[in-house]
Amino acid sequence: MTEQARPSFIGARVKRLEDPRLLRGHGRYVADVRLPGALEVAFVRSEMPHADITAVDAGAAREHPGVVRVLTGSDELVAGREIRGDWRGEIWQTSAQPALAGDRVRFVGQPIAAVVATSRYVAEDAASLVVADYRELQPLTSARASLSDGAPLLHEGWTRNFFRHSHFLGGDPDAAFAAADGVLELRTATQRQTGMPLETRGCVADYDVVSGSLTVWMTNQMPSVVRTSLADVLGVEENRVRVVAPDIGGGFGVKAYLYPEDVVVCLLAMELGRPVRWIEDRREHLLAAIHARQQEHRVQVAYRADGKVLAIRAEVLVDSGAFSVHPWTAGLEAGNALSLLPGPYTIGDYECDAYAVATNKSPFGPVRGVARPAAALSTERAMDQVARATGLDPIEVRRRNLIDARDCPYTTVTGNLIDSASFQEALDRLCEVADYPQLRRQQAEAREAGRLLGIGVACYAEQGASGIHEYLRRGMPTIFGYETALVRMDPSGKVLVEVTTHSHGQGHETTIAQVVATRLQVPLQDVRVVYGDTSRMPYGMGTFGSRSIVMAGGAASAAADKVRLKLEQFAAHLLEISADDLETVDGAVRAKGAPFRSIPISELARAAYHQPHRLPQGMQPLLEAVSTYDTERGTGTWTNACHLALVELDPGLGLLDVQKYVVVHDCGVIVNPTIVEGQLHGGIAHGIGGALLEELVYDEWGQPLSTTFMDYLLPSATEVPRIEAHHIETPSPFSATGSKGMGEGGAIAPGPVLAAALEDALRPLGEVVVTELPLTPERVLRYVDEARGAAADASGDR
Amino acid sequence: MKPASFEYVTARTVEEAVRALADSEGEGKCLAGGQSLVPLMNFRLARPPLLVDLGQVDELRQLRHDDDGSLVVGALVTHREVAGSPLIAERVPLLAEAAREVGHAAIRNRGTIGGSFAHADPVAELPCVGLTLDAEIVAAGPHRRRTIAAADFFQGPFTTALAADEVLVEIRFPASGAERSGWAFCELARRRGDLAVVGVAAQLERRGQRLSARIGLAGVAGRPVRAVAAEAGLSGATPDAASFRAAGEAVAASLAPPSDIHGSAALRRRVASVLTERALERAARRLEAA
Repeated sequence: MTEQARPSFIGARVKRLEDPRLLRGHGRYVADVRLPGALEVAFVRSEMPHADITAVDAGAAREHPGVVRVLTGSDELVAGREIRGDWRGEIWQTSAQPALAGDRVRFVGQPIAAVVATSRYVAEDAASLVVADYRELQPLTSARASLSDGAPLLHEGWTRNFFRHSHFLGGDPDAAFAAADGVLELRTATQRQTGMPLETRGCVADYDVVSGSLTVWMTNQMPSVVRTSLADVLGVEENRVRVVAPDIGGGFGVKAYLYPEDVVVCLLAMELGRPVRWIEDRREHLLAAIHARQQEHRVQVAYRADGKVLAIRAEVLVDSGAFSVHPWTAGLEAGNALSLLPGPYTIGDYECDAYAVATNKSPFGPVRGVARPAAALSTERAMDQVARATGLDPIEVRRRNLIDARDCPYTTVTGNLIDSASFQEALDRLCEVADYPQLRRQQAEAREAGRLLGIGVACYAEQGASGIHEYLRRGMPTIFGYETALVRMDPSGKVLVEVTTHSHGQGHETTIAQVVATRLQVPLQDVRVVYGDTSRMPYGMGTFGSRSIVMAGGAASAAADKVRLKLEQFAAHLLEISADDLETVDGAVRAKGAPFRSIPISELARAAYHQPHRLPQGMQPLLEAVSTYDTERGTGTWTNACHLALVELDPGLGLLDVQKYVVVHDCGVIVNPTIVEGQLHGGIAHGIGGALLEELVYDEWGQPLSTTFMDYLLPSATEVPRIEAHHIETPSPFSATGSKGMGEGGAIAPGPVLAAALEDALRPLGEVVVTELPLTPERVLRYVDEARGAAADASGDR
Repeated sequence: MKPASFEYVTARTVEEAVRALADSEGEGKCLAGGQSLVPLMNFRLARPPLLVDLGQVDELRQLRHDDDGSLVVGALVTHREVAGSPLIAERVPLLAEAAREVGHAAIRNRGTIGGSFAHADPVAELPCVGLTLDAEIVAAGPHRRRTIAAADFFQGPFTTALAADEVLVEIRFPASGAERSGWAFCELARRRGDLAVVGVAAQLERRGQRLSARIGLAGVAGRPVRAVAAEAGLSGATPDAASFRAAGEAVAASLAPPSDIHGSAALRRRVASVLTERALERAARRLEAA
């Protein structure tokens, strides 16, 4: 029988198997973990961005009825409990984030004390009685201010206020700039934004005094890694630490750290011998969960008259906040910006300086897209300016610069190995499905009628499933180079799959089951996928960096193959046929060419466990296997996509109405199109939030102003347009399933797309270059004025 | 969601509610729909030791017109009822239009007009309409009921003329006496359903040959304000594009708005001007159609 006849679930629009549980409210989250006798924690947080703590008076809080313990930064229990994340690069300065600040605070929201009480209400009552005295220091509230001469140094032993400085030189930019027909310069800026999961952070710790073992339920995307980190910081043997990450209501990168609050909750549980619980509220999330995205770029672009971009010089400043986070470090966003700024284009000459600058703001970490939204804003805005300078259509300029898919695997100037792609095809397809010529006609007609329509386009390559090679190259302290899966078939032939990634919206219970059911040729409903409990699962890394379908899918495939091979060997023994002449198809192992000679998998499974005497000599009864997996070269996969938007500008109010949003997307082999589209929609919503709405604002004194959902504006159903997605499937030659990571990409393009669309819409008023996000009414009206001013200047010149 | 501790009582009549407030020595707060008060309590920005739940006071749910032609809207009438009531659509259509801009459906289902007036958020839609239409607020205290003109009622951000032991009973919208009128409520909100950055209520009224205009603004001061100069400029004028533009400019010139992260003073002034012009245009179209 041929390969095609095997039932396959790859590519099927299977409804998410986890949804009946989650949609009925039967999910079990950290806040649902209710242990008898549990105490609750409220944190007292710094109100100062930068100050020495001169005194903390916790006396009244300790006296408050119902309070069990008040812990301050000077307490012995937290002495020396620090969180570090050190990048392994040439220019790096370290920081140590204390579990509770004892003598100095470096951002508003930094925990300085913890109140443990019989309920959160009581704990909050008492927390408000803790009084801290500060000696204020000069707050550093922007990357430029931090780097300026005479700025106070944020950490001991530092020489300037940055964690990381990287310099990259590839090719010969000097020669390219000298030979160019034109040179242009851009200064782009993206604002502070973050991941905003529906479920906030949370941690419940339970210490068993008798066995000396600690169980921690936490909202964490990487339970294995955080278990190791906890053991290190707490000084508990790792084989006595169990981390359980139950259902998690979204992560987006914000839950992939060891946070100070986690350490404090565990220390308290160990000291008090009672379960201790902390559920973050939204204000705390906005203040003290990691932030992301805030970058300033200065970009010079050398181009030829035919639209070819020859070279880029860039300076990248990342406003990285007060501490380097664990395990990702404060260096990742700056490094990614440096690495990815040349985009999906054949730019061979490139020079970049990237700084991860320390400021008195909440620490910075990777969030969905990690630097790509900022990098793409610079790259794509540059392409549009080259189009304007050369008189070419923006689509045509991109076409002339995109990497030719036939050159893949293609090594970019910064050493990224793009496994396979469909850059040109995707762009052509976008023009076709969006009917680009018709959109331009529609725009022209609208302009005739005095309406301001604009079209924006952006292309990107989305790095995902980074493996050993990539994380080594990035200088990460931990090499997140593999994932692990355990596949266990029980005596009834049902399958349990334990993966080390974590699913918090990605639908792994469905997609991993699709992969395993296909490899084992069992019904989909016979495969159950579980994750998140380190006491059961093998060691692995977790979910982040658009990796799960490739890495966990690869590991699950490999483990399932081992189980299938064993079943075939067992069947070979029973049927007295060589295993090479057997195949597993649709629930049975059977002889190739003689399908009537077969044994159902369920029978084999029962026999393997309950009739071990029938096994061949030396074969062990259990039908289970563990595999780790990394992509072929450890360089990961590259999804590619083009986005297009049609917007109408209201020049009176500064509002953009996104009327059409079209995506052509290639993430290799699609396991489940519905889930891929869901990820894409979510990413685009996140990107639209960044383009139009979301901003973590700090005032000039370092006080955060976006501390509620009235200030931090998430896009809702009415702000997210209908998204039209089209797929191309160029299989990855480096991944087991041919799939590519794609969880972050949607968030990359909306910024540059909508900036371009605004600029295009403004054209009848005058020429401007839109370079700053978010496009709030305030900023849009500034561009409107600038456009009118530019037109007035131009007519004045004539 | 962790408010400071508080007592809770249910009132069955206005008098009971007033007594409970008086007994708390002015520290109690009335609970209507809870759409503003409860979040403030959860943030501990408000810490009333006593909540007096008005939900069972039937008198406060009235919606009727009086003999003098004025429309009476009880304090507990929800935004949803305001937006959907045929009586309000007929008598005070500007109010119904503004109510549709309040929050989201879930908020409109619970939030009340009395709550909105008593909360007195300077960016809220309904207080702005109340001021624009010279509404009167009826408040009950321990000794008497009194009527307060909207112009006197809204005193500053989240501050009204209500005494600590008074309950807002109803809001009366007097008959305009105009033969024909046109109205519009326009706002800039960052997202659909958000509180306005700036909101403009406009009503054009014709009595005989005489045209008069009412223009109220939200989000440009510590309380809703009337655009007196712009109103005067339109009085007796021909309602055309030029006069509306002039009105917009007059509005901008008269304001010294506050700044916050959703809009600087300059943005608010500019947007107030644009929205005034747009609201007047829409009101004029309705006036023509009337």
